[in-house]
Amino acid sequence: MDVLAGLKELFCFWHPPKPPIPFVVLFKKFKSILERNNRILELMADMGDKLSGDYIFDRQYINDACERVSDLVFKLVSDLNILTESEDVELFIAFERIQHEIHEELAGRRAVPVIRPTILLDELNSDLSEEVGNKFANLGDIRNTLGLSTPDGFVITTKAFFDFMEFNGLGKDIDKALSCWDGKAQDHLEAVCKDIRKRILQATMPKNLLAQVNAMADILGSRHHTKSLRLAVRSSAWAEDNEHSFAGQYESILGVPRSGILDAYRQVLASVYTPEAWQYRLHRGYKEHEIAMAVGCQVMVDAQVSGAMYTYAPLPLEKEAMVISAAWGLGPAVVQGIAESDTFVLDRCPPHQLLSLEIGQKERRLAQGARSGTIWKEVEEPLHGAPCLSADQLQRLAHAALAIERYYKRPQDIEWTFDGQSHLYILQSRPLNIRPEHREARSHIDDATLRAQVAFSNKGTVVQGGVGSGKVFLACGDEDLKDFPYGAILVALHTSPRYARIMQKAHGIITDVGSATGHMATLAREYRVPTVVDTGIATKMLRQGDEITLDASENVVYLGTIRELSRFELTEQDVFEESYEYRLLRRLLKKISPLNLIDSHSDDFKPSRCRTYHDITRYSHEKAVEKLIDLSENYQRYHDKVPKRLEVDLPLGLMVIDIEDGTSASQDSRAVTMDQIRSVPLKALLKGLTESGMWTTDPVAVDIGSFMSSVTRTCSTSMAGYGRLSRNLAVASKEYMNLNLRLGYHFNLVDAYIGDVPNDNYVSFRFLGGVTDFIRRSRRAKFIAAVLEQLDFRVEVHGDLVVGRLKKNSTARMCSKIMILGGLIGYTRQLDVGMKSDDQMARSFADFMQRIQPIMDWPAGSDEQGARSV
Amino acid sequence: MAAVTDVDNDGARKTQILILDDEPIVCKRLRPAFQKAGYEVEAFTDSTSAMARIEQKRFDIVITDLKMQGTDGMRLLSRTKEIWPDTNVVVITGFATSETAKESFRKGAFDFIAKPFKLSDILDTVRRLVAGNSKR
Repeated sequence: MDVLAGLKELFCFWHPPKPPIPFVVLFKKFKSILERNNRILELMADMGDKLSGDYIFDRQYINDACERVSDLVFKLVSDLNILTESEDVELFIAFERIQHEIHEELAGRRAVPVIRPTILLDELNSDLSEEVGNKFANLGDIRNTLGLSTPDGFVITTKAFFDFMEFNGLGKDIDKALSCWDGKAQDHLEAVCKDIRKRILQATMPKNLLAQVNAMADILGSRHHTKSLRLAVRSSAWAEDNEHSFAGQYESILGVPRSGILDAYRQVLASVYTPEAWQYRLHRGYKEHEIAMAVGCQVMVDAQVSGAMYTYAPLPLEKEAMVISAAWGLGPAVVQGIAESDTFVLDRCPPHQLLSLEIGQKERRLAQGARSGTIWKEVEEPLHGAPCLSADQLQRLAHAALAIERYYKRPQDIEWTFDGQSHLYILQSRPLNIRPEHREARSHIDDATLRAQVAFSNKGTVVQGGVGSGKVFLACGDEDLKDFPYGAILVALHTSPRYARIMQKAHGIITDVGSATGHMATLAREYRVPTVVDTGIATKMLRQGDEITLDASENVVYLGTIRELSRFELTEQDVFEESYEYRLLRRLLKKISPLNLIDSHSDDFKPSRCRTYHDITRYSHEKAVEKLIDLSENYQRYHDKVPKRLEVDLPLGLMVIDIEDGTSASQDSRAVTMDQIRSVPLKALLKGLTESGMWTTDPVAVDIGSFMSSVTRTCSTSMAGYGRLSRNLAVASKEYMNLNLRLGYHFNLVDAYIGDVPNDNYVSFRFLGGVTDFIRRSRRAKFIAAVLEQLDFRVEVHGDLVVGRLKKNSTARMCSKIMILGGLIGYTRQLDVGMKSDDQMARSFADFMQRIQPIMDWPAGSDEQGARSV
Repeated sequence: MAAVTDVDNDGARKTQILILDDEPIVCKRLRPAFQKAGYEVEAFTDSTSAMARIEQKRFDIVITDLKMQGTDGMRLLSRTKEIWPDTNVVVITGFATSETAKESFRKGAFDFIAKPFKLSDILDTVRRLVAGNSKR
């Protein structure tokens, strides 16, 4: 833009008043904002569905979907700017920031790399494998997603590694030394290695790194109330513990005191350049630029007994066993095979019976040294020949190990330890390669599935793929899930976030009703529990205690345990959740779907706080409604309509803009009474809202839980949403209504047309939000969905967003449905506060349907419309 | 040219499926799904190898993407129908237009599925095909 044009733009508000814009034109813009708003929400839900494993999608889809959603959001922001005639660059900046992050992800560049040189274990997950190496990224999943214990600690990232190498000029020297090597002469390589290692061991730490490591050590010290912190300093290189284990290639140092962290760090880095490690990498085709070493520092566990475990014993697969090696004291005794140990073989199937036990004579144990390092100690005589794990410990170990295996869908090689209080810690877990002869596995699998008896298949929606076998646990009411047996398959009427507590125990979840986008679905995906919802028949077809196998990848439920299926899954070449496309889509969705801008009264409700496309969409919608009201009230020279306040007993704060024949009030009148409403759909809705007696005016007993949640959600103690009168808007003509009604914290959007031709008639209803926690809100969403379905609406539920559509009914029928909708809006006003249980939801449904019955029998719509047609 | 047959334990010939899609993720996910359902699957991400394989062996069903680098999926469709008229071809594509759909059907495709699609949809399509074939 040239300077002149820029100045012109800047001073445009000095121009003489423009001729009025017909209100219909503004309204058209507003409608287009609403439409885009709806399409964005639907596209987001659609993208989320793709993570279920039910869909085959490719890279092209990801590109296209991101392109489409970006395009819609951009147009939404542009429309809003036109409507508000503002130069709200902030919102464009927010959009561009998010779009840029999305482009970077799509281009294969990590958009938010951790540029910190250190990071606490609490923050780790597998998305950070580049930054902390696979070993610690996996530990992050195990600790933070699966909720198993790992020793506390932090990681010095690969970013620190590069800084360290560059600071000391080592990277260049290594490249130079390598370019001189012919790839053969062993002596030469050894000499190069020796030199590099020596230089690393003598290298200087960059100041910033030094400060960061000290800060982390301080945190650990204060958390564990100790000044004599002792750490295990462990390698976590790129590619380690992934396709190639690099087992034993890199160094780990135990019992490191705080003062020794930096030396230990240098030692671990130096171990990258031993001739053996280098050869190992060269042999497997790793390039020099693919080398990076992150180093984990974890608080030492006072180990009573430690060891290693394979979730699939290296036996013929039919044996279905896991094997544990264990010895007193610290782990290296077992892992490096330097001391006698016990070997336990357990059944893979619950209750994990002990199949065999071999006891070693364990006369020595590895323990922490007095000041640093480790020392060997004598084991008391009676313990030499005693098994070092109890039955209870074996069970806990088996449960934890299989939870990890199920999560990664790969057999695992796990290092673990029990402390003096018999608390289990997972030290490391890496995939165990047991891929059997392919042909053999395949003929097994189809024989097995063809022979097996199918209970039902292809019913409902897959939320999370995978295979699980177990006994059916029927949950039909609010029974206590404390008794949910380990390894069972939950069969329930509805999805419910309540089931979060059994995620770690369940081998699968099947429900009669439910959506693939709710809270429970998110959790099932997080834990990777095979889950199918909305089957319609599961609780009828399956009985308590039935042995079944759920193959959620194919959406089939088999009677009996089909071991071949789980084995097939564990030996499949690729795991969907580990595929690049899955991880990419999940990362992208984090920039698209989460909603951070929840409360429009909060100070954070502004463009600069928009972190996702959903935030921008929510903000734009709110501002568009506000602007339309504002425009119609205060800027009359711009258009030709006067908004009229509806005179009604309920605190609706409703402004009506009459675009054509929607009211009989005079053009200039500032108010309109109920009797003056002529708009057929608006009249019907208001009638339902005011006359059905559904507007809950009883003071709602707000229990502390929901109250606190509303406080934290709004950061205000004034309960602003209920106290302050919302300004709501209806735009109406004789046949048309567009209603934006915010009651408290939730939105009702109704768009309807009712004319003489049934084919043109439609009503679309959207409901979103609420004050209480997500569980109650989604219960209310389900309640609304149930009512709408009863009224023949086509209903979609995405979390707490309910969308209902009804078309092509006769005028009388449409009016009757909209009246009931009015009743429903009144009834649900504060309902989430009352939704304490799933039972409550069913009771509300029955209550509502009963109370609305008289309305259903009313003559529909305005009097001249005549009686409701049958 | 003798077709290689694969026979299961009961002596019945298994349905042979060839999959071609240049995006590995599609092959990676379709292959195990069909294997579990009891089919014999060969999957290719490059069209040259798939074209060569078609010349050697008769498959009951060919599932192919349309727009790829190298050979166009349309060519695989035409060539398959040319040498093995009885082979059923299912087209899967991310660029679904009514034009490409029409052309696919004209060239003898049995079904045309737009990506992304539900796993159960394609399994159903193949089941329908197999049921139809066994009636013939």
